[in-house]
Amino acid sequence: MRRYILHRLVQLIPILLGITLLTFAMMRLASGDAVEAMYENLGTSVSQDIIDAKRAELGLDKPFFVQYFTWLWGVVRGDMGTSYISGQRVFETFVSKLPNTILLTVSSILLTVAVSIPLGVLSAVRHNRAADYVIRFLSFIGNSLPNFFVSLLLLLVFAVKLEWLPVISTGGGLTGLLLPTLTLTIAMAAKYTRQVRSTVLEELGKEYVAGARARGVRESVILYASVLKASMLTILTLLALSIGSLLGGTAIVESIFLFDGVGKLAVDAITMRDYPMIQAYVMWMAIIYVLVNLCTDLLYRRLDPRVRLGEEG
Amino acid sequence: MKKRLTALLCLLAMLLPMLTACGGKETETGDNGEKVFRYGTTAYGPAMSNAGLNPHDNYSGWSCVRYGVGETLFRFTETMELEPWLAAGYEWLDDVTVRIDLRQGITFSSGRSLDGQAVRECLEDLIAVHDRAPGDLKIQSIAAEENAVVITCSEPNPALLNYLSDPYGAIIDMDYGVTEDRNVAGTGPFVAYEIADDHVYLKKNPDYWGGEVKLDRVEVTAITDGDTLTMALQSGQIDAVQGLPYASLPLFTDNPSYTISSADTSRVFFGAFNYETPALQDLRVRQAIAMAIDKESFTETLLNGNGTPAVGPFPGNFSFGSGAVTAPGYDPEEAKALLAQAGWTDTDGDGYVDKDGEMLTIRWLTYPGRMELPLLAEAAQATLKDIGVKVEVNSTANSADILESGAWDVYVSAFVAAPTGDGAYFFTTHCLADSAKNRGGYYNEELEALAAQLRGTFETEQRSELAAEMSQIILDDCGFFFASYLKMNFVMKSGVTGFTAHPSDYYEITAQLDMTM
Amino acid sequence: MEQKRRRPLRGVTLRLALCALLTGLILLVAVFAPLLTPYDPYAQDMSAALQAPSAAHLLGTDTYGRDVLSRVIMGARTSVFSSLALVAIICVGGSFLGVLCGWLGGKVDTVVMRLSDLFLAFPGMVFAIAVAGLIGGGMVNAVIALAAISWPKYTRLARGQTLAVKSAPYITAAVMANNTPLQIIFRHILPNIAGPLLVTAALDIGTMMMELAGLSFLNLGAQPPTAEWGSMMSKGRSMIQTSPWVVLGPGFAIFLTVLVFNFLGDTLRDYLDPKRRGVRSE
Repeated sequence: MRRYILHRLVQLIPILLGITLLTFAMMRLASGDAVEAMYENLGTSVSQDIIDAKRAELGLDKPFFVQYFTWLWGVVRGDMGTSYISGQRVFETFVSKLPNTILLTVSSILLTVAVSIPLGVLSAVRHNRAADYVIRFLSFIGNSLPNFFVSLLLLLVFAVKLEWLPVISTGGGLTGLLLPTLTLTIAMAAKYTRQVRSTVLEELGKEYVAGARARGVRESVILYASVLKASMLTILTLLALSIGSLLGGTAIVESIFLFDGVGKLAVDAITMRDYPMIQAYVMWMAIIYVLVNLCTDLLYRRLDPRVRLGEEG
Repeated sequence: MKKRLTALLCLLAMLLPMLTACGGKETETGDNGEKVFRYGTTAYGPAMSNAGLNPHDNYSGWSCVRYGVGETLFRFTETMELEPWLAAGYEWLDDVTVRIDLRQGITFSSGRSLDGQAVRECLEDLIAVHDRAPGDLKIQSIAAEENAVVITCSEPNPALLNYLSDPYGAIIDMDYGVTEDRNVAGTGPFVAYEIADDHVYLKKNPDYWGGEVKLDRVEVTAITDGDTLTMALQSGQIDAVQGLPYASLPLFTDNPSYTISSADTSRVFFGAFNYETPALQDLRVRQAIAMAIDKESFTETLLNGNGTPAVGPFPGNFSFGSGAVTAPGYDPEEAKALLAQAGWTDTDGDGYVDKDGEMLTIRWLTYPGRMELPLLAEAAQATLKDIGVKVEVNSTANSADILESGAWDVYVSAFVAAPTGDGAYFFTTHCLADSAKNRGGYYNEELEALAAQLRGTFETEQRSELAAEMSQIILDDCGFFFASYLKMNFVMKSGVTGFTAHPSDYYEITAQLDMTM
Repeated sequence: MEQKRRRPLRGVTLRLALCALLTGLILLVAVFAPLLTPYDPYAQDMSAALQAPSAAHLLGTDTYGRDVLSRVIMGARTSVFSSLALVAIICVGGSFLGVLCGWLGGKVDTVVMRLSDLFLAFPGMVFAIAVAGLIGGGMVNAVIALAAISWPKYTRLARGQTLAVKSAPYITAAVMANNTPLQIIFRHILPNIAGPLLVTAALDIGTMMMELAGLSFLNLGAQPPTAEWGSMMSKGRSMIQTSPWVVLGPGFAIFLTVLVFNFLGDTLRDYLDPKRRGVRSE
């Protein structure tokens, strides 16, 4: 067990190297650089000397691999550099905002699970009956509204018309968390309700269910004891797989609700070509992603002893 | 499994009411009847390079001056002329030396009094650490007197006082220095007590030299999303905003609960023609394109009336601005005639003009960072189609790379043409052979000569005349076209007074700001 | 499908036909969009800007005075085609890799799986923005960017399915009958794992449409003046209070399309239900 975990953690290293090198290369190839982007956006003019001086100061005049290895060496020593734009320490800035994003992600996942599992199961059990159609119809709606639009509608209704909740989430405590969570949940729950539904449907179609039915086992017992348990494994995997996109997907929501998290930080960093910040973001997201998946695999094993760890790699 | 699921559901069922129970509206004013002004702005933060209040860092001086913490030696009037602020007066001793007398009886929020030595320390630090200031100011040495400073430049610098009025010239106490959270000690009506990348909280300076400060506290919050800004104002969570999307303005214009203050700024939306493109080397083609841009519709309809159609680089409130120059307006018929004269006609009936078998296609490069630019591009695309010119819009954040590669014909951008009220700036940055932003390779010998003359001219009136003359030259050459000037808006609850938009875009929160509710 | 249908299940077949019909209808609208628009979707008329829906303009006009209905119809082309293309690319490409991994195993499997780990752990937005920066904005490039990060899902799915059927007796039989690997993959493996892949693909169309809309919000999707539902919504969102019709038109179009494709996916799932088939995916 311990060896397995260690093995997985060692695997993290090539992934991190690959991701950071890829990001580094893409951001460099993609654009001019932080210095040009900064002055261009501001609509003011500075001489080439100033641009060159700033570039030299940030080390942007060095060859690509020198820049990359300078950065990497810094990371190895526990120094992720300072932001080009704000001049603040990258690590500290990032870590100070990470809890907010994690909070948002976790609350959204919990709410999603709470909504989509009961609805999905109900939909599957009542396959092609009224309840199923209503649930599916609702999930289509949730599935066809872009994030930025859902948040707008929620704000309009709950903050402007009803005045129940604040528009700006910062410092709003739990109330501030509610609308961003709802926004993320609507899209996710729509998707997962359907996943749960089809997974449960698939389980219900299996032989052992037919067998159990033939033996006269009560439907509810079949459902809770066997079907649901088997389905949970698939759903757990799906959820874990989407953690990455979820953590990254909070960016739009964060900037609309002024939720002070890393997603917003990342979008700003990308538009401003703030390389150290982008690198930190990509790295942290990868680490979290891999760790979450590791936890899922471990949990998986607990839930289903048949699964042999280490088999899939 | 069932138990676990039930437990989870119960937990959530308990959490939900808790979430809602904590709701309720926040208090309108702070504790103990304090007057708190909550201000939402799109113009603060690391993305604007102005986070923090240290004027000697990047553009943070704008935040320092805008939010009433720092003040400069001179300030701009509504017509963008200079008037003394922390200074009491000035005198040019010769071409390179100016003596600036300071207003007496002013103290920094740190308690130190403002004297020659304090100003000298501040300016010396400015030219030592700031990126743009040394090149603008060309200061060689500063001598401090009891209540004055004598500044010597390395070459004649007629615009010195204008540049000193740029927000980076805000005078701060260098003994107090810059704190870890980027706070400074200025002389303004407010003192910051909390600074972050997305907000600045200020409290009143009880010893302000310019009279009683009417508000107790000001909370500046950076709100980047326009719709959030709109709804935060509608819900009453903030009292005033800057930078509303044009589409939201109708919600507030005819609404007695809100007032709007607006001012024409010198931020101009303009295009530069690429002289490398063969078709654009023909003056008539450039003129035709310029005449096919419907500036009135752009400002009236797309900007909801929040912009002024431009003639030249400077708006009408400048003495050398729109009123002093002429350029042809929107005239599609004349534009078509010009194209025909230049040999561009639609011979194959596809709706687009061609010459020697080639279609006239314009690669219109712009960037989405300013919301007006994509709007202008899309509007121009349609009106240029009417005269038979095909426009391919490329609106990208990487416009700088494409500029470098040369794969563009018209580059449309936004630029503050006269940030210091002086006319020379636009020409030296955009129109001369050695200008950093002369993207299209524009050149005019007469303009170069006038620019040289401007460098040695100190007299304001003469400088204005020269600037007008130079504007007319670039308009006659049609090396650039000017679409409109930005009108900036403050929208506020009707109880807010003393919150006025200024053409310089430098001054926002002042001692006069008050609220009655 | 080598199995014979045992039960008639007319209902499912009927539903499938209905779905196919609706899908066909959407595709027809997309194909013949230029013939169906009442106005030129790109013709501006500033004097008629932001008019509410009326007999002349059924869905009103936008800020440039363009007919919203015409733009919605024209947008079907960009939106539906690009989502379909995107899903087709990742489904075919990703599944192919997955089958290969499952069938070959060994080094190929390890390399591809590590690569898919890398892309799954890569924040998609960073990738999309960087790609857009590399090759410019625009719909085609947005599709390329999203395709580059979305394929691992199909690879994993296809790999798992392939592993599951690999040991089935009929595959062993095929191997013994000296079929080439390609023959086995195309004749025996693909038909048996196509079901779940197709269902996932049909359900993914809506998701991808949303992803493309998200990129439009960040100014990385369709370039002006292209009519595209996602960018119409993101550009018009500020008008939700003043001129809601500008967003409701494209919003409703997205909803209908997502509805039809999801319905298709569900029905397909029912149609290919394991209960009705001999082979089980275990």
